Amino acid sequence: MAAPLWCDGVETDQVFDMNCQEFWNTMPELAQPAEDADSEHVRECAACAALLNRQRTLALGLRRLAADWRPVEAPARVENRLRAALLGQAGLAVPGPPARWWVPVATWATAAAVVVALAMFLARGRPVIPAHRTASSRVQLAVAEPPADLGMLGDFSDAESDFIPIPNAARIEPNEDLNLVRVEVPRSAMIALGYAVSEDRASEPVEAEVVLGADGLARAVRFLE
Amino acid sequence: MTSDLPETDDELLMRMRSGDEQAFVALYRRRQAAIYRFALHMSGSGTVAEDVTQEVFLALIREECGFDPRRGTLSGYLFGIARKLVLRHVERGRPDMALETDLESSALPELMVDADPLADLIDREGIEALRRSVLALPRRYREVVVLCDLEEVDYGEAALVLGCPIGTVRSRLHRARALLLEKLSQRWQHRSGAMALKPIRCLI
Repeated sequence: MAAPLWCDGVETDQVFDMNCQEFWNTMPELAQPAEDADSEHVRECAACAALLNRQRTLALGLRRLAADWRPVEAPARVENRLRAALLGQAGLAVPGPPARWWVPVATWATAAAVVVALAMFLARGRPVIPAHRTASSRVQLAVAEPPADLGMLGDFSDAESDFIPIPNAARIEPNEDLNLVRVEVPRSAMIALGYAVSEDRASEPVEAEVVLGADGLARAVRFLE
Repeated sequence: MTSDLPETDDELLMRMRSGDEQAFVALYRRRQAAIYRFALHMSGSGTVAEDVTQEVFLALIREECGFDPRRGTLSGYLFGIARKLVLRHVERGRPDMALETDLESSALPELMVDADPLADLIDREGIEALRRSVLALPRRYREVVVLCDLEEVDYGEAALVLGCPIGTVRSRLHRARALLLEKLSQRWQHRSGAMALKPIRCLI
């Protein structure tokens, strides 16, 4: 059996015949309060015993600090942004078995280039939370008040809304927090939503606005051309 | 029965890379908190921690950094990216802690002290002082304390994250704890001194 990490190549029985330096070489593990490994050296060396006691108190304090911080986690908006990024990377598809005519994910992934709509939102006078700083990100979000016509999306069937529900997506709940993301996708993405697209234009980019629910999943899309 | 076991990180990663969003969400929720806390302890900034967490998982989404399960765990890989990003943020924003040279050149804490400055560690104020002391450690000592003591990463994995031998992790941890003791002793002495100088009566 391999020697335990704390032995570091030193046989355990050698620990009992050591100087202060050798003793402290094993310190990280000895400082753990659960480690009842007081050696002869500690029993004979008052200085090391005192320091060991302080190290163990410190280790307890660090454990308390770790426990106090255990509930700390990243804000929920980080997950929402990442899910949007994943969406932008993989296309607009929501989980579920893809239909045969569904545009391959790989096409989405290679062709999707995402554009920030922050300036446009500002120009429209909407309250905007600035997009998060990810300088190298290909996906950026503008979190905004939803457009007025999003209110019509409740049952995804109102003809006055030009947002198209994503197949298999959950419906938008009343008062649900929505994020709007403007993306550039290949025109071929429109095929999946029932548009006729000529083959020679399938790879051309087209701007679209995607509605993300509070869970970060796409609910609806509208094409801007 | 095995189907009841939670999926491993590697299994979730494979599913994620085949386009499964739920796999990504499961992986993110399993690992984000430790990455966020690591970045927060290292930088002392919630904004930096949030940026770093986002960028770590964006890198995973984009497969930019080429995780290889044969070279270590996904957790260690994520910590490794987070560490580099924190360093980049810190270097961009401000130089590393000025305490670095002062503390490193100082002697190890005295073995004997008149009273126990660590008694404070039983209360919330003492724990907060400890947190500030961790934050004030020179970066290479801070990262081993955060990884090994606060996030309970084992020494072998910490060595992979930091790109150094396991013996270096151990010696840095030893040194880091000595520096922490010194910081706490200084704080305690400062408080004791302040109490000693506290005016008893105003004479004018």
